[in-house]
Amino acid sequence: MTQPVVGTFKNVAGRQRAVQLLVGLLVALVTMAGFTSSAAAEGEAIRVQVKDQQRDAAGKTDNQPVVGVTVTVLDASGAEVGTAVTDDKGVALIPVPGKADYTVRIDESTLPDGLALSSESPAEQTVAGDSFVTATKIVNFFTGASQSESTSTTERIAQRFADGIRLGLIIAMCSVGLSLIFGTTGLTNFAHGEMVTFGAVTAYFFNDLGLHILIAAPIAVIAGGLLGYSADRFGFARFRARGVGLISQMVITLGLSIAAQNFFLWRFGGRDKPYLDYTNQVGSKIGPITITPRDLIVTIVAAVVLVCVALTIQYTRLGKATRAVSDNADLASSTGIDSSKVIRIIWVAGGALAAMGGVFRGLDEQVSWDMGTSLLFLMFAGITLGGLGSAFGALVGGFVVGILVETSTLLGVPTELKVAPALLILILILLVRPQGILGRAQRVG
Amino acid sequence: MDIGAVFENAILQFIGFNACYYAIAAIGLNVQFGYTGLLNFGQAAFMAAGAYGVGQTVSIFGISLWWGVAIGIGYAVFLGLLMGVPTLRLRADYLAIVTIASAEIVRLIVRSVKFRDQFGGTDGLKGFADAYQDVGVRIGLEPAGEYGFWIFTFSGRNLWNLMVGWSLVAIFGVIVWRLMKSPWGRVLKAIREDEDAVRSLGKNVYSYKMQSLVLGGVIGSFAGMMLALGNANVQPDNFSRNLTFFVLTGLVLGGVAKVTGSIIGPMMFWGLYAFLDSLLRELIDKPVRIGDFTLMQSTDVGVVVYMLMGILLVVLMVYRPQGVFGNKKEMAFEGR
Repeated sequence: MTQPVVGTFKNVAGRQRAVQLLVGLLVALVTMAGFTSSAAAEGEAIRVQVKDQQRDAAGKTDNQPVVGVTVTVLDASGAEVGTAVTDDKGVALIPVPGKADYTVRIDESTLPDGLALSSESPAEQTVAGDSFVTATKIVNFFTGASQSESTSTTERIAQRFADGIRLGLIIAMCSVGLSLIFGTTGLTNFAHGEMVTFGAVTAYFFNDLGLHILIAAPIAVIAGGLLGYSADRFGFARFRARGVGLISQMVITLGLSIAAQNFFLWRFGGRDKPYLDYTNQVGSKIGPITITPRDLIVTIVAAVVLVCVALTIQYTRLGKATRAVSDNADLASSTGIDSSKVIRIIWVAGGALAAMGGVFRGLDEQVSWDMGTSLLFLMFAGITLGGLGSAFGALVGGFVVGILVETSTLLGVPTELKVAPALLILILILLVRPQGILGRAQRVG
Repeated sequence: MDIGAVFENAILQFIGFNACYYAIAAIGLNVQFGYTGLLNFGQAAFMAAGAYGVGQTVSIFGISLWWGVAIGIGYAVFLGLLMGVPTLRLRADYLAIVTIASAEIVRLIVRSVKFRDQFGGTDGLKGFADAYQDVGVRIGLEPAGEYGFWIFTFSGRNLWNLMVGWSLVAIFGVIVWRLMKSPWGRVLKAIREDEDAVRSLGKNVYSYKMQSLVLGGVIGSFAGMMLALGNANVQPDNFSRNLTFFVLTGLVLGGVAKVTGSIIGPMMFWGLYAFLDSLLRELIDKPVRIGDFTLMQSTDVGVVVYMLMGILLVVLMVYRPQGVFGNKKEMAFEGR
């Protein structure tokens, strides 16, 4: 059905479009550019960050700011240079007279109840004068409290499950597009994680400009849809029409992934940043679990969106067409379904859902330049478990993987390695039932 | 602007240590990806296997450094089997997913606090390479001495690394070149083109693919060993996804399914990298601003160059998938 396009791309018109694509990329570059503008400090200062490393949801340490801690900076002779209390981002900025040796001391009695400095983080840290790279030297203190010891086993299990459900919903949301793109075009998109990061980072960009996150988030979702549209319109639809092989396309997605990741690292920076709204919420107790209103709303909205996606796929004409193309693109085309249009719609919807997942993940944890990449592997585990190429498989598999990752710590898996069980499932599923839970068996090997 | 220095850097990186261990890794990846059509997107894991193999000997086990070669090969074979057994009977994508995931898990494990006693955590391992460097001294290369001419002046230590590294490149290059001319190599290429046809000729495709994956992985582990010995340390974050992708970019740049491509590609990759990096650093001596908004400053250069390398991979795959030396027909496989 896409045959007529083949000729056109190889001639001058194709070149022009390639130029348009480059111009588009440049425009995107310039529009995204406002990130690193702030934070130009006047004089030297020490920026003390107090973080709680307690909670962690996908192999990445999740640092929650610790508020209201008194920190003091002493100079080499032991005289006090300044003292400050950490703000709602867990940060205390203490101006110092120059780049010299200092001692930074944290007042442990001002830590919130239940928190204590972790064993790797002493209460006093020294700063060498030559370690000031810029005018501001960052000093981190970490708490790794034994909060959970005071809670009962049931509560811990319930809490892990609640966190797991939220992570599972986010994974499921992010992976619908990944799975359906695979189902309809056969392409494994290794840059899908960057679409997730794109959503989170775009929302951060608008949030940072002063828009409330409730306005920034929908903008990010729309931008995600546009990104998906452009990826297909200017990229993969062309490649399909030109007959670029699937393996080549897969390597292309790897290249896009490197390029996008480093772009985010460049414009967003290497540090994790939270959204400006709803940051410092107190968790309330619902039954055995403690959850902040923000996390509760994220869970509910994610669940509602996924139910809508499932209903759309099951009952609407578009959903049926999607499943038909996913099942057998040629057969679907011969029954009058415009499969390239269906594929375009999947890219748009997949991009929008990935962006939404990214925003939720950014609210749940923090925004970082590589957040999508670290989710990508969990998405792969999820869609393989559910059945590669099946929309419902992506939903079910992502959900199961999320819960499994979060609950694995209960079985003694160290928090830093809790994504490892996802690889284990991936391997086991491939050994036992390669088509996944909901996939249809094919002749293999 | 000192354009001479830019070219000097590019030339030095073209034949430098980075290019040399990348070339070893790319020769291995070429066996899997180029000749057999296996999508190994986790070459970094095999390199980590080799690096930690030699790193652990002295630092952890307290045995002679040279056992590290055997241990590294052992780890690489184990990884190859772990990745291959579940996936090589299935379509190509599954291997891609499992390798990319395994590489990430390997990195998480070696840098974890849990296994710090085995792998040294985020600090990595060091203090194991003395025996290797002594050999260099024994053949007359003073570590601090200067050898060479014109811009090609190296310290004794660097020269020793380059000599060992490029010898390994030559050895593996010849081995792979001979192997691919052999009947065994022809079976691999046939599997890449049409697996079913090979199966119908009575060949055990699964076994051949496994041999290819393990062989490529073992060669990759030598790249890791070279990296570990050359730097005299092992850092877990060296073995990130970027490493895999840049080895792949180097290979594609040179041309897949060609031994020359797999050697010269990584050299060109590093030459180009150093060229762009030094050029941008020369151009951006002060931050580039538009109004109050900083577009780019010198600390961004590394990241921007990586980004450009990613775009290079995309452009290559679209316009010249066979790279500089490759044959387009050999890059047309579908991997189903």
